[in-house]
Amino acid sequence: MKETTMTYLKPIPVKTPDNSPYWDAADRHELVLQKCESCKEYLHPPGPSCAKCGSPAVSWEEIGNDIQGTIYSYVISHRPFLPGFQDDLPLIIAQVELDKVPEVKIMANVLDCDYEKIQIGMPVKMIWQDLPEGRSLPQWKPIDA
Amino acid sequence: MGKITDRYAIVGVGESERSKNSGKSPLHMALDAARAALNDAGLQATDIDGFMSYNENDSCTSHQLATYLGVRPKYVKDIMGGGSSTEMLISDAVALIEAGELNSVLIFRSMNGRSGVRMGGGGWDVNMLQTAIDGGSFIIPYGAGGPAQWFGMFATRHMHETGITQEHLGHVCTSFYEHAQRNPKAFFHGKPLTIEEYKATPYLSYPFNKHDFCLESDEANAIIVTSAERAKDCKSRPVYIMGLSSRQCHPHTHYWSDLSQVASDYVAPEVYKSAGVKPEDIQVASIYDCYSWVVLRQLEAFGFAPRGEVGNFVAEGNLRMGGKLPTNTAGGMLSEGYTHGMNNVLEIVRQLRHEYRESDRQVKDCEVGICTGWAGPDIAGAMILRN
Repeated sequence: MKETTMTYLKPIPVKTPDNSPYWDAADRHELVLQKCESCKEYLHPPGPSCAKCGSPAVSWEEIGNDIQGTIYSYVISHRPFLPGFQDDLPLIIAQVELDKVPEVKIMANVLDCDYEKIQIGMPVKMIWQDLPEGRSLPQWKPIDA
Repeated sequence: MGKITDRYAIVGVGESERSKNSGKSPLHMALDAARAALNDAGLQATDIDGFMSYNENDSCTSHQLATYLGVRPKYVKDIMGGGSSTEMLISDAVALIEAGELNSVLIFRSMNGRSGVRMGGGGWDVNMLQTAIDGGSFIIPYGAGGPAQWFGMFATRHMHETGITQEHLGHVCTSFYEHAQRNPKAFFHGKPLTIEEYKATPYLSYPFNKHDFCLESDEANAIIVTSAERAKDCKSRPVYIMGLSSRQCHPHTHYWSDLSQVASDYVAPEVYKSAGVKPEDIQVASIYDCYSWVVLRQLEAFGFAPRGEVGNFVAEGNLRMGGKLPTNTAGGMLSEGYTHGMNNVLEIVRQLRHEYRESDRQVKDCEVGICTGWAGPDIAGAMILRN
């Protein structure tokens, strides 16, 4: 762990009162999503109230840790636009539509994937990338890989 | 405020020098631009009683500008804002003039966009970014730190859905670079671009290569808005505001959850309704062009080509002089310079005044033009102007 602390130079998700249930769950290798009690829509990223209808009645739903989805869109960074990513180029950043909750798209990197093979519609599964100090980051990986 | 068509006008435009390293403060550049706009209008600084600007913590204040012009104005306003703020501030100016509070308003944007705070990033505190951007902790840890990636995510999906290709992005770039060759003040004057060169350029952030990105520059721009009645006393040829839609948000606050719609889709019907014209009435355009794709998506939103046909529309040369919609005729932010939207406003005003007549820069006999703003997929602005 100490070694990881020294080598992980990328930004670590900042927990706030509005998002901490999501990141606390990620640290336990689980996905939770915020849901609006009024309009029944899922909200992602989460917030202090529903960004679709404005209702303050929002709650959290556990989705578990077997999460699959398909690539909805992506970009490929060939230059680092933030510090810490210089050794990860080309870097795939993708929006993934969840199989269980298609209205939710989650942005993450697609790891273990040849950047020339990435395409919209490609099936992926969520993996948990451990960061220093017990933190964990949801990431995507091709299902075939 | 009711119908404002043709009752207000832009009567002055001006700019500072454009450079990559001004060696001047934003206040100094703003003063240069303001004096140029006043001179253009034939007004004294003391004729202006309202000053407004937008910034990203990278500029001077309206109060400072007024002070060093020797004016004690009635009203100053500075907003945090990006590329659709010009339209919003013009709406504010019109409303305040309509209410009888003000007579004439000077609106400016000044930035050392290359030598100072760069929009393209660099030097940002990543934890600050996570809290400053709505939902930032869901994108920053993944390296999505700038507009190239945020807008690129929309672009890849849109291209997938509509059949727009890399080459279509290139036609936007080559059209605007062609315009820059007629503009001696453009950064890329003397640097034309062929579609073959564009296609051979490596990606910086797929689907974008460096030509798809706007330039960063040090520059200030200013415009002066007043009533049609007062415009008669100005020495410039007034350009009348037919309609405005100042700003309207994408319905999703967290915009990267829904890549299918952008704020321009909502602004477009409002601006046409407000101006009482249709897309086919528009003869010249300034389309916000922080990235090439942003132009394509707005052409679709503003009805210049149906969804799925925007790529062919640009490939056929319609953005060039002599095309159906000569666009960003000074080179745009992709090849002239970047003042967060305002240099494109200056250009459309000059086109509608027929300021370039007798030269190949002039869009012949243009009477009606559109100017659009894009501050992101969630915020947009637009105005329709006539001579």
